[in-house]
Formats: sequence, structure tokens, C-alpha cells
Amino acid sequence: MRLTLKHLLCLCLGIVASAALSEEFNEELDLRPLPDGKVAAWFSFSTLLKGATPRDTKTLGAEDESQLYTLFPLALGQILREYAVTELHLTLNAGKWNYDRWGYPDESGVGTGAELWAWMGENGPVSVDSRWRGLRNALAGLFCASLGSLDEQRTTSPVLTFQPEGFLPNRTASYQLRHATLPSEHVCTENLTPFLKLLPCKSLSGIASLLNPHMLLDADWHGLGVHVRYVEGAGVELRLASQAVLDPVRISREKRRDWSFSALFDRRIEQACPVARSSVIRVWLPQNETYAIIPSPTAMDSTYATYVVSEVEKPLDVAIRWPEEQNFEYPTAIKPQTHISVHRTLQGASQHAGRLALSVTNNHDTELQAGYLETLPWLLQFYLHTLHAEIDGVRRDDLVKLISYTPPLPHVQPALLQAIVTLPPKRTMQLTMDVVKPFLAYTEHPPDAQRGWDLPPAVFVPFASQNGSQAGSYPQQSAVCSTRMYTPVLLVDLATPDFSMPYNVIIMSCTLIALIFGMVFNLLTRRFVVVRVDEKAP
Amino acid sequence: MPPAILLKLRKFLKPDGDKNVIRIRRRRKLLGAFWTNLPLLIIALLAVGYLWMIAIPLPMLGQRTYIDENALQPGQVHTYWDWGDVHRADRYLEALEQLRDRNASSFEIADYIALEFRRAGLSADVQGFTLTSASKSRSGANAYAILSSPRASGTEAMVISASWLSRTGEGDGTLNLRGVSTVLSLAWFLKGYSLWAKDLIFVVTDGYLDGMQAWITAYHGVSQRNLQAEPLSLTSGVIWTALNVDYPGHSFSHVGVFFEGLDGRLPNQDLLNSFQRISTYTGGVPVLAYDHKDDWDGLNFPEWAPDAIKNNHQVKEYAHRARNVVRHVGYQARGRASGVHGLLHQFRIDAITLFAVPATGPHGFHAIGRVIESTLRTMNNLLERLHASFFFFLLVRPTTFMKIGSYLPSAILIGVALLFSGLREWVNAGWVLIADEAPAKSEKSGEPVPRGKWARRRRPVIRAIAIMAATHALGAIVFYLLSSAWYLNDATFAPLLAFSLPALLPLSAMLLPSEAPDHRAPLAIVLKSLNLCLTSTVISILSVLNFSLAAVMALVVGVPLYSASSSTSTRTRLLRYAAHDFLAFGWIVLLRGEVVQAVTNWELLGVWFAPFVCIVYAPLVLQSALVCILPSDSETTR
Repeated sequence: MRLTLKHLLCLCLGIVASAALSEEFNEELDLRPLPDGKVAAWFSFSTLLKGATPRDTKTLGAEDESQLYTLFPLALGQILREYAVTELHLTLNAGKWNYDRWGYPDESGVGTGAELWAWMGENGPVSVDSRWRGLRNALAGLFCASLGSLDEQRTTSPVLTFQPEGFLPNRTASYQLRHATLPSEHVCTENLTPFLKLLPCKSLSGIASLLNPHMLLDADWHGLGVHVRYVEGAGVELRLASQAVLDPVRISREKRRDWSFSALFDRRIEQACPVARSSVIRVWLPQNETYAIIPSPTAMDSTYATYVVSEVEKPLDVAIRWPEEQNFEYPTAIKPQTHISVHRTLQGASQHAGRLALSVTNNHDTELQAGYLETLPWLLQFYLHTLHAEIDGVRRDDLVKLISYTPPLPHVQPALLQAIVTLPPKRTMQLTMDVVKPFLAYTEHPPDAQRGWDLPPAVFVPFASQNGSQAGSYPQQSAVCSTRMYTPVLLVDLATPDFSMPYNVIIMSCTLIALIFGMVFNLLTRRFVVVRVDEKAP
Repeated sequence: MPPAILLKLRKFLKPDGDKNVIRIRRRRKLLGAFWTNLPLLIIALLAVGYLWMIAIPLPMLGQRTYIDENALQPGQVHTYWDWGDVHRADRYLEALEQLRDRNASSFEIADYIALEFRRAGLSADVQGFTLTSASKSRSGANAYAILSSPRASGTEAMVISASWLSRTGEGDGTLNLRGVSTVLSLAWFLKGYSLWAKDLIFVVTDGYLDGMQAWITAYHGVSQRNLQAEPLSLTSGVIWTALNVDYPGHSFSHVGVFFEGLDGRLPNQDLLNSFQRISTYTGGVPVLAYDHKDDWDGLNFPEWAPDAIKNNHQVKEYAHRARNVVRHVGYQARGRASGVHGLLHQFRIDAITLFAVPATGPHGFHAIGRVIESTLRTMNNLLERLHASFFFFLLVRPTTFMKIGSYLPSAILIGVALLFSGLREWVNAGWVLIADEAPAKSEKSGEPVPRGKWARRRRPVIRAIAIMAATHALGAIVFYLLSSAWYLNDATFAPLLAFSLPALLPLSAMLLPSEAPDHRAPLAIVLKSLNLCLTSTVISILSVLNFSLAAVMALVVGVPLYSASSSTSTRTRLLRYAAHDFLAFGWIVLLRGEVVQAVTNWELLGVWFAPFVCIVYAPLVLQSALVCILPSDSETTR
């Protein structure tokens, strides 16, 4: 009797919840073999809150409406409502994405370390900056990451590069962007576990069951992403994404590139996630090669094979084999897979000055333009007048169009440079700027091991110039626009006192001060008199 | 009533009378004693300094090396390098031997190596460079590859390098084929692991030192006038540590460590010590300092020496240590790199060369691969740069070293002796004793306080400084001559001509008239005073920058500069001048090979030794030669 009552209650609650907001959960996995034998995996789990809108900033002072979710994670929903965040993007990545070999990533946010950016409405009772601070700290708690240290010294507002991916509701006057990166953040299990907790099926069933920390965190590159946006007419969409570049050649004993779920993830899909509306696995097929794919997919064309998890036989262990290959031979030359290639280095070995050098190569036959964003913490101060562009040794400053520049304020805010560079076809542009390294107050040195300071990645957004049309070499490259490319992070060596010997320093400086004080005091208090000394000794 | 002895003691310590007078009198007495004993003190300081230098290799001195940085944990890992990797290295060796046999060009070799790196799955490229020195021009090509470590941000990197020419005979043509094969095989092997926290950079450089100079300066974006190096298309992060592999022979019995860098820079001792532990305990390969084997007999005593001395363990140990110290000083004083690793120190990279000492056995690729793998794992553990252990040390034995405090005073003491003697000359120059009457003069020898009246006299400081500046300018001219193509190409007349300039020009000083001593001090005394003070300053400053150079300079100039003085006889003056001048510039004629080498090092690598000798050392000794030849007055010497 009691059981039926309980069931009834649950049913009622379910009806109430679904009446308030209907939710939809979709999951997707893309697997793409890469030219250097690796496999790029892209997991996407999206939950749509139908009919929901982001919280109006004007209501921030008042009691919020109650939140009842079945699939949408409450922990994240509360944060979004509390700080009235309209759009949120958080990525936590480990490794260096190799654009030349791996092409554009499925998820464009691949900067090393942590990156957080959010669009928030103005004109509420609580300021954007205080909500940004609260958001950072709340997310730091939720994802066990040091996002709390993304303070004002790292926060910028590069609106040209980070345009909203969804819609901004048109009720308040304006929206503001806050963006910060923390390149030194190490991404590991403690971030993956809370990430998995936000999924309706956790990692127990469906595609998410492949997210095995042991294998995922051993990948050449791995990253987690949380993306919240508002889609007009549909609702609020939360997309949890995970990307990885796995190396089957390294894992295999025979150095073959054959892969399967059980080899890459050490797991198979035992059952489908029951609440998922769709659950699709897409495998990009190798071109112009002999291969075998098992089991037979639900649908297949020349570019990819599709598996619908709920329909295929379980346990599902998708595998691709190259039966004619004894072991994988790395290609000796890999054509750059992206429209432009960017290398950024910090030159000079001294501790007070240096030079930031970028070489940007246009790999295409047509002229390209690219947005260039540099956010430098004030640890490295560059001089705008030393920004020069060179192509084949010829000064071409006319190819760089500055859009905005915010100079750094020491100890307060980072520098922000946004520019547009024009890249002639098949040419390499050398961009250089002179930088100075400031001297830090001793309290500004972190208490950790002194390895140097990380410089956030620069961001390039290539787009076709007005007169040139272009064709991508990769199918998904047709939408070049708004694909952000992140350069690797850099390490800055600043002058650092030897903190391992504070006592020696204290003792020596105190001795010196005592000696100087003694001498000066002696001279100041001494009375000088004439003494008559008899030459003859008594 | 206290006992009488206490009363006496009290009277001695606190005599009656005005205590200010007593204090002034005591101070005068002390100063007087110091002044009269100053020559003795100077000689004692010189003697202790020289004896200290001789005592550095004593077996009872020094302490055992230890690992200071806890993060290093050397030798704590299981190594995976096995015979399959050795086989691969053998295959590479065969291919490289074929390239050698058909006289392949630098670019062919570099292309082959870069191709093999790419076949291992790494990003690789070839860097071409052209080097122009005063005498010749040379082109070459380096091959390098970068292994971007999984999950690492690529902000830090480690370098494993091998040069095409071995360090045997300072790049005289012995090929380092096995070193290059080791690096190639390591590239395949190390790619198979995901445990690297830093990027690995593999570099195979052309030539001996020139290839690495082109590569490392391009990596750091430093341009050099006489070096046209292509910029690197692939870069990684900040390089913290580097290992250079030098394996010229067929097999090896020991691994020798070479660590001296340009201008006397040394790597952190933790790197040497970690490698020593790993090689001994993981690889089972004994480690040597340099290529000095333990079975060396030592001092090569003559036949008639008693066996008790010849077979004395302590004497042999002294000989072994002295040999290492002399080798070290030879590299450090001349600012030379003892291997390719030495070029990296200028960019704050801790680097050493592992030299597989050629022998008939028992070790080969298997041992060196394991040792390098384990050493890289140790370097991989670093969270920050090597900083804990010593940067200033003398490695007297592979596991014994001397701290800076135990060898630095030797040079400093000689510097202090020169400073005291310079100040003494300064006082002498400023005061002259005007005798009252004849009998007092004869009494002088018996009396401690000479009779007469001390009078001030003027010191010709400006003239002395002008002469000193002129000598340094002359040194700069000599340096310009020596680094010109004219000297480098002509082996017979050019050295003589270059020597004759600084030898004959200062003789014009003889024409200076001697002056009345009462009003103005003789130029020679002021010059000697300033010369000694400057030399002392140079030695003291140099001793913390490059101890070996400071010690060698102190050793060479200490006694000659101290004892330089003028004389009434022109013949004595000329002879003394000739001796000093020969000490200053004689190397132009006698050590032509050294000069060419030093000038080349300056042009190519920026080693400061050649300009230092020409512009600092030689002029200082030349000033002392001028002290000898300048006219003196017997009245002035006290």
C-alpha cells in the first residue's frame, strides 16, 4: 500500500515537473581518425530546458522562482540563476592542441588550462563584476578547479573574439562579457568526477560510460567543456562536452593504429541511457584506404558511419581495423590541416626584456584575414609601438590593423590587444613586439615551486577576406568563421629572489644595518676634543 | 689584596693617566708595528695563497657529493629500454656508416636524420646555417625534432643532443656516429610513453660546436653577426636541462662527465650527481670525471724514487685529484666548453656531456640507453629549475668535490697581498724623509724610528692613470691585430710583428726625464701602486665569476708585479723590462695555436678569454714592465 502511494507521489511530481518545464537530453560521440594515427573523440551531452529563459538581472534582489529539474543538473542551474548568467563557457584542457596535424577541433575552446567566459546582463541591483566573482568561486567549488584565482588581474572583455553563441534576450539594455584564462591549471580526475555527476546517467550507461578516467586522462590531449546558451524559441541549452585525442599506436603492443572502444577506453557500451532522446555515435571513415569496421553500423555513407545506440546490439564495441597494415608507418609529411598555422615564442634569455614573436602562415592559395587577440597579464608588458609585421624580411606594418588596445596596469589589470592581420596567400608573417618583464613585490610570488609564470594563449580567428572565396580540405571546415585557434601557452621567467635562503638574507642584511647604524651613531654622539700626546713614551 | 700578578695585568690593561692619551698612543704603536711588519705580512699572504692552491688536491680535503633537490629521486624508476631498441640503434648505425662512407654532405645527413625522426612520429625539421669567421666560411645543417609530450602544456622542455663530430680531439674529425644512433633510437623509444611532463627535443647538430651554436641561438632568437642561421620552424618551451651524448668508440668501459661551459659557467651539481648515481647503480657503468681512468699510475716518478713514495696511496690520490683540477682549470680559465653542452649554459640551461670512454668493452647501446632513459626520468621530475645544489664547485673526483669556500681564499689571499703592497707604495709615494743631518742617517739602521722630518710630496696620479689607459688601449690594438685575418693567415712574420709593437713602443718611456724627488713622487712608484690595486681588484672580482681564470692570473702575476721596481742601472732596468714584457705579450710568439683558438672562440662563441688577456691581463703586466723601465731616484726608495 505504502509502495503504491510513493509511486503515485513520484508520478505526480513528475507530471508537475514536466508541466513546468519539459527537458530533453541528447548525447553524441564523434570519432575521427587523424593523419598521424591518432583518434579524436568528441563527446557531447546536451540538455535543453524547453521554454526557459535566463534570469532577468532586474529580479536579482527578489526571491527567485523555484527550480525543478529532472535532467538538467540542479547544482549548475542554481549557479546560473543566482548570478543571472545568460551565456557561460567553461573549458578545462590538458595538453597542446596540434592544429597542423589534427586540424580544427570539434569544440573550438582548446586553450591549455582553464578558460571561463560569460555574457551577463547589466542594470540589475548587483554589479556584473561582483556576479563574475561569485560565478568564478561557485564554479571553482563545483568543478574542483582553481577558477577562484581568475581575478581582476586576469579578466578581460574581448568582445570581438568571444561573441555569444546563442541569443541574448532583448529585455535589458546591454550585456557585458567577462573572459579569463588560467593556463597553469592541471586537469585531472578531480575535475572529471564532478563533470560526470552533472550527467543524467552519470557514467553508468549510454555514451558517457566510455568516459573512463584511466584511459581518458592518459590521452595525448583531453578537455572538458561546459557550455550554456539561450536559444530563442527553444530554451536554455546546456552542453557538456569532452574531447580527447587518443593514440592507439602507443597503446598497442604491435604499434598498429587499429582501435576499438575496448582498446581506447577500456570500456564498452553495455546499455543505452534510458532518458536520452537520441544517442548517436558517428565514426569518420578513413579515405582511400582498406579498412574494416565492426559491428555493422545503423547507417553509413562515404564519409561516416552512424550507430544509434538504442538500436544496435549491446554490448557495443565499435572497432576499425586496417587488415593490410603490419604496423603503422607515420606519414613523413603531413600537410597543415588548418587554414593558418601559428607559432608563438618568447625570445631572449634575459630577465628584464624579451621579444614576443609570432609567425603566422597562410596555408591557402587565397588571401586570408585573421582576428588576433592577445591578453597579456601585466607580468609581461609590451610596447605597442614595437609591434611590427614582416613578410620575407620586408616590413609590412600595413597588414596589421589595430582595433583596440587596453594597456596593462601593473598589479591591477592585464593588457588586451585586438587586431586584424591580413595574410597573403602561402606566405608567413612574422609579428614581433618587444616586452619588458617587471620586478615583482616579494608577496606577489606564489608559495609554490618557482617554475615561472604561464602566459595565456593568443587567439586567432581566421576568416576569408572579402574578395577571396575558399574551400576547406576537411568537411567541417566549411564554417571557418568564428573558429577560434589557440596558440600554445608560454612560460615567462621573471627575476626571482632565492627564497630558499631567507635566513641568510635576513642575517646578512641585519648585520649590515647594525654595522652602519653603529658607525653613524658613534659619529653623531661623539664629542671631539684636542688631546696633547707627549711623543716620549712614559 | 689581590695577588701581584693581577695588579700587574690590570696596570698593563688599564694604565694610569689620561685614557685618551693612552688610547692614541696605543693606536700609534699598533699602526707602527703594522707598518714595519707590512712587507713580512705581504710575503706571508702570498705564500699562504700559493700554498693553498697547491693544497687544493690534498686527499684529506673535499667532501662527498650528494643529491640536494628532493624532487630528483635518481635511479628510482624501472627502465624499459631493451634489446629491441639496441637493435634499432644498430640499424641506424649501419645507415649512418653508409652515409659516412659515401661522403654525404651535411644536408644529406641532416635530411636523413630528420626523415627518421618523422618516421618515428615526431615533428622534425632541418636548420641550415652559414658561419663566416675572419679566416674561413662554412655551411652546415642541423636536424632536430620535438616530441610534444601527451597532456603537457609544452612550456618546459628537455634536450637530448648529439653532435656529428665527437669531442675527442676537440672536433678533429672523429665521428660521433654511435651518439647520433643513440639519439635516433631514443626518439622512437621515448615516444612510446605518456609519462613525460616536459617536451623532449632531439637535436643532431652538425660539426662540433658550430652546429649547436647556430641551433641554440636561433632557438632563443639571438642574432649573431657572423652566423646566418635559419629560424626554427618548430619550437617548444623553456629548456631547463640538456644531455649531450658523445659515443665515439665501438664500446665503452666508463662514462665520463664533462660539464664546463663557455666563460667558465658550470651546471648545477645536482645534474652531475644524479647522473653519477644513475649510471653507477641503474646502468652499472662506472662514472669518471672527464676521461681520466682510475688505472692511471700517477705522477710518473723517476726510477730512482723510493717505492714508499711511488706506491703511497695518498700520493697517488693527490696525483689523481691534481690531474682533474688541472683539466678543469684548463677548460674554465680559457673559457672553453669541454663539450657541446657548454654552449647551453649561457641560456640558463643545465647541461652535461656524457662521454662514452672508448674501450674494448663491456658496455654499449644497452647501457647508455638505460642510463639516459633513467636520467631523463629524473630530470622529468623537476618542478622548478635546478637550484638547490652548487653552481660553484671543483670536482676533484667523480664523487668528491670542494665547496667554493674551500678554494676561493687562495686567489683572494694573493689579491689581498697585492692590495696591501699597492697601498704601501701609495703611502711611500706621498711621503719623503728629509734628513736633518748626516749622523742620523747612519744611525738609521739601528734605530727603529728614523731621524729626520717627514714631508708630503705630490703624487703624479693623472700621469700614471694616463699611462695605464694607454697600455689598455695598446692592448685593444693588439687584440684588433690578433683577430684580423692578417695574423690568422701568416704564421711566421705576423706574430713577431704583432709582438714587436707592445715590446718596443713602451721603451719610449725611457726618454722621460727623472725629476727632483722632494716635490713630486717618481712616476714609477705611483704607477706601481695603482697597478697593484687594479690587479687586486681584477683578481677579486674575477674569482667569483671564473675562479680558474682568477687563480691562474694570481699565480702568474702575483710575484712579478709585487717585485717590480726600477733601478739606477739602465742595464738592469732593460733586463727587468724585457722579462716583464715577455710575460705580458710573449704568448703572441710562443703560443700561436692557443691564440688562434682563443680568437676563434671569441668570434664564434663570444668567449671573453681572448679580449680579457689582451685588454686586461697583458696591459697590467705591461704597466709593471713600465714600472721597471721608468727612471727612478735612489733617494726615493726608503
